[in-house]
Amino acid sequence: MVAKLDTQTRRWDDSTNSTSTTPSTYSSDSSSLDSNEDGDSSDELTQPPPTSTSEKAYGTLHSEFGHCLNQEYRRTSRHTLGSPVKTAEEHDPPYYILLSTYVSYLFLICIGHMRDFFGKRLTATNYIHLMSHDGYAALNSDFDSFYTRRLKQRIDDLFSRPVTGVPGRTIMLLDREFSANNTNQHLTGTRTRALNISSYNYLGFAQATGGCADAVEEGIRQYGVSACGARLEGGSVDFHMQAEKLVARFVGMEDSLLSSMGFATNSTIIPALCGRGSLVISDELNHASIRFGVRLSGASVRMFKHNDMESLEALLREVISQGQPRTHRSWRKIVVIVEGLYSMEGTLVNLPGIMALKDKYKFYLFVDEAHSIGALGPHGRGVADYFSISPRRIDILMGTFTKSFGAAGGYIAGSKTLIDSLRAHGHSGAYAESMSPPVLTQVIASMASIMGVEPPLPPHSPRTYVNGHANADRRAIEAYDYPGTAPTSLLPQWLSLPPHLRDGSEGRERLRRLAFNARYLSIGLQKLGFITYGHPDSPIIPLLLFNPGKMPAFSRMMLARKTPIVVVVVAYPATPLVTSRVRFCVSASHTKADVDTLLRACDEIGDALDLKHGPGKRWSVERVIEHAVELVRGEVE
Amino acid sequence: MDDVEAALKPVVYYLSYALAAAEYSFYKIPGSAVIARYVKSSHQNDPGRTLLELLLVIFAISTLLHSRTRADKSGRHFIKFTEKEIDELVDEWNPEPLAQPLDEDEQADLAAVPVIAGASGPRPTLVGTGKTVLNLASYNFAGLAGNETIKDRAIETLRKYGLGSCGPPGFYGTIDVHMDLERDIASFLGTEAAILYSQGFSTISSVIPAFCKRGDVIVVDRGVNFAIQKGIQISRSTIRWFDHNDLNSLVEVLEGVEKERRKRKGPLTRRFIVTEGVFENDGKMVDLPKLIELKLKYKYRLILDESFSFGTTGRTGRGLTEFYNIPASQVDMLVGSVANGLNSSGGFCAGSKVVVDHQRINGTSFVFSAAMPALLAVSASEGIRILQNSPQTGVLERLRENVRAVRGVLGGVRCVEIPSCEESAIVHLYIRSSSSEEDQSYLTTTSAKNNPTSAQPRNPPTFHIASEERLLQHIVAECLSHGVMVTRAKRLRGQEMVEPRPSIKLALSAALKREECVFAATVIGDAFVRVLEGEGRMGVAK
Ligand SMILES: Cc1ncc(COP(=O)(O)O)c(C=O)c1O
Repeated sequence: MVAKLDTQTRRWDDSTNSTSTTPSTYSSDSSSLDSNEDGDSSDELTQPPPTSTSEKAYGTLHSEFGHCLNQEYRRTSRHTLGSPVKTAEEHDPPYYILLSTYVSYLFLICIGHMRDFFGKRLTATNYIHLMSHDGYAALNSDFDSFYTRRLKQRIDDLFSRPVTGVPGRTIMLLDREFSANNTNQHLTGTRTRALNISSYNYLGFAQATGGCADAVEEGIRQYGVSACGARLEGGSVDFHMQAEKLVARFVGMEDSLLSSMGFATNSTIIPALCGRGSLVISDELNHASIRFGVRLSGASVRMFKHNDMESLEALLREVISQGQPRTHRSWRKIVVIVEGLYSMEGTLVNLPGIMALKDKYKFYLFVDEAHSIGALGPHGRGVADYFSISPRRIDILMGTFTKSFGAAGGYIAGSKTLIDSLRAHGHSGAYAESMSPPVLTQVIASMASIMGVEPPLPPHSPRTYVNGHANADRRAIEAYDYPGTAPTSLLPQWLSLPPHLRDGSEGRERLRRLAFNARYLSIGLQKLGFITYGHPDSPIIPLLLFNPGKMPAFSRMMLARKTPIVVVVVAYPATPLVTSRVRFCVSASHTKADVDTLLRACDEIGDALDLKHGPGKRWSVERVIEHAVELVRGEVE
Repeated sequence: MDDVEAALKPVVYYLSYALAAAEYSFYKIPGSAVIARYVKSSHQNDPGRTLLELLLVIFAISTLLHSRTRADKSGRHFIKFTEKEIDELVDEWNPEPLAQPLDEDEQADLAAVPVIAGASGPRPTLVGTGKTVLNLASYNFAGLAGNETIKDRAIETLRKYGLGSCGPPGFYGTIDVHMDLERDIASFLGTEAAILYSQGFSTISSVIPAFCKRGDVIVVDRGVNFAIQKGIQISRSTIRWFDHNDLNSLVEVLEGVEKERRKRKGPLTRRFIVTEGVFENDGKMVDLPKLIELKLKYKYRLILDESFSFGTTGRTGRGLTEFYNIPASQVDMLVGSVANGLNSSGGFCAGSKVVVDHQRINGTSFVFSAAMPALLAVSASEGIRILQNSPQTGVLERLRENVRAVRGVLGGVRCVEIPSCEESAIVHLYIRSSSSEEDQSYLTTTSAKNNPTSAQPRNPPTFHIASEERLLQHIVAECLSHGVMVTRAKRLRGQEMVEPRPSIKLALSAALKREECVFAATVIGDAFVRVLEGEGRMGVAK
């Protein structure tokens, strides 16, 4: 099995190399991304299909944001009230796949150790930095770096691929060449444009043209590129205040606080939320930034099984009844930290389940909406919007602008008291650089275009909140406008947005395209027979490969296709050992045809690599494509 | 053919030798003979079984590692409750509020933060009063804020790349302009390579734990900034503290660590010295040549935070290495801020290729965070170009002249004490107290012994934080009413390992004219005198 895969991989290696001079790759020193200047005008990646009427109807560059006018290919992202929430469900692959996965790891590890063994003796100079020498301990001992050197290095060409231009619907790769066992790489000077199914560009706001980019240009003219300091010292501009108010309104909270880096939003703010004597209950798959922050906070930490409400409840019962370790004093407070949408699993947090527990167990809830804000919910306001739960029943909402908004940085939103306390006690306020003005402009412009600027849009759906709980503060819930529009008073006066952004129509279009694409790809892959994880409405769709040898094969085969596709593959240690996977992130910028292309590619490669081990009846790829709309609407089984 | 044979000979030799050695050492482990016999016999009976058993062992280990999520019911302190009792306990439990409302001082502090209307720069307009002020609070050292060339380059970049990178560097977030900026920084400093992080503050708190693990030794200055404190806290290494900016104390600590190690006869561990070039908290400068000499002598690696010296100190702003004329490659990990020094955003770590590549996999906030927006990287590259040309344009010379002008005025004010060194573009101002002469002398007394395991200094200087901060805040307000924007150095009281002394932190800029600096300094000096005299405590320690 392993040997077969190995040869398969190698064969694909070769073909990758040999195709690197085919027409899909071209060399050009012109760095302009305009398709015509680039000379790849015949490419389906840059040219809209002839049926679609035009850039005029869309006003976007097809390579950045695809033209897809068919209103059938739209959907509203919303949880059906009362239906059960699909949490993690895992299909186990056949036993032989698991076995061969273990065997391949064993094999790789053995080979690695042998190479180390001989390498250290024959080419000792290559190992100097891994061994103690000259009175210095190794910076990174041969043991600690084993995984990196002997496993990851073999597939280094799949990671950190350098790119240029906009990470939009398509992306331009700078081709690399590797030598000396992947230890050296250099750019060949050629480029490859590929379909981008990897960037966190959920709403397609990664654009160098269009209303948001125009606004950013104006922002740079007005403000320059830096706000010159920390928020509490000399780095606050009026723009920060405006953006904070708008963000608060967007997510439906009283107030919000911005931070110039999404990671730092967690790592520098969580320590201000809880400390010694408090307990953090964290989902076992929470992001590194959350762990970083929790570790700095000094609070005790317990973990529960990923998105498993029973595990959470059992843990809550235990920790509340036992109190603090040894002393049994009761906890000062308990903060449960979860993510809205998990970036490696595609699972959606079981928010209704957590809210029920929250009412009973009185913990505070922190939801990291890095991936879900903008990407989920009929109004793009994240998981609370998706589940029709009032955001004010959640205590702390955190999110980042790096994903759906095509910007950078993050926010924390909550009650005024909480946010003021975080302003004063969080690390960012006093010590970290504030968010830079161009980034602020992108945040404001993209957010306002999702919300629509006043006068308000006609309501396209009646809202019902699930808040029949005695504890819920009804007054607070009814007293604000959510999910409301962006009042003109909260936008900078110089900001001008084109009409289709101003009235929220394009924003809504983006939300609906994303919702369609997400569900189409996820259900389509399942119909083809793949094992995917996650919620069907999640724009993150992991497809399970299991065997580590299939990662390079899959990724290289995708890139070597006539229409190259770039994908993200992840394996241990980012995932459990056996569940290596490829992760797709769909975007509103993809057209249905793009998803078709991807499905066809997966179908072919899936057969070649023996990846189709999912349950249920299989469909042919053409049948899936033909019945896309019915599949998404759930009209066919 | 002969060649191959010759090459193989040592291989075969080593192979047999190593196998023999492995066998020998294996049999030295008590009980190993039993295991060996078991494995041998089971393998003979059924070779497939060996494999299965191996897998079982792996499974066992992985479940063990996973059990962290299970409830800890085996503990000695576990009390068994019935479900009913648990329900009662849950009902009875009353958590504290999530956040306490700010007290009056804190509220006033937040309200007093100056907010600039429009672009920041040397002479901005403030929200609220609408007045134009001289800005000695924002970091604009080389005067890059509002630079038109930078704006043009940023807009050009926007039109090619959009704004966000929409992904971490590992997954299609590595844009060519990031690689360019990394190369620019490395060649500007003269190191092999550099790596970019997307926030300055979060840089060193990821760099330190990328290298320093449990069991490693970090020797660190007691006066380091908050970001370093967080980095060493995350690292879980063994920490030894030396007195602030006192290299004699460093020698003592290094000797102490060496003695400890010899006593324990432990294996060689990684050892690091962590300190700052120009200290964020008081503007003092480390004696880099001496520091390098010590690190080489004792075989430590040096992590140097140049967040406030990169872009300001040295002839072209390359920092301490340029100022002391030391090759930057002598510093193992040189950390700097792109945000402070180049008026953009982010931070970097420069060093050898090995050091940098290691961080691309192990630098937490590098790996798990989106890469910085392309236009900010390009702005920073442009900033470096401006610094490189500074000998011709005289930008940094103007900055130094402004520092001299301000120090000249304030140095003559009796109630002001300036701890910062002359090369520092941030100038801290303390309230001079009568006991400050004694404060100076404690450094040289050897009566109390340094306890390197504690962050607390042996004779902590005495100052009253709350009252000094209140006075300084009055001074800040007083300056503002005269059109000069300054700020207290904001600190998270109660969270710093050693409480830094309250100060006013001036950030000077090449974009200010000399006369403006003299004017501002006079206003500040007057404000000090007026406020402190008003308090009737001119030169009196609380
Ligand atoms: C759940 C979560 N939180 C925080 C972050 C960090 O955000 P940023 O990339 O903006 O630093 C990420 C990003 O990958 C994330 O997935």
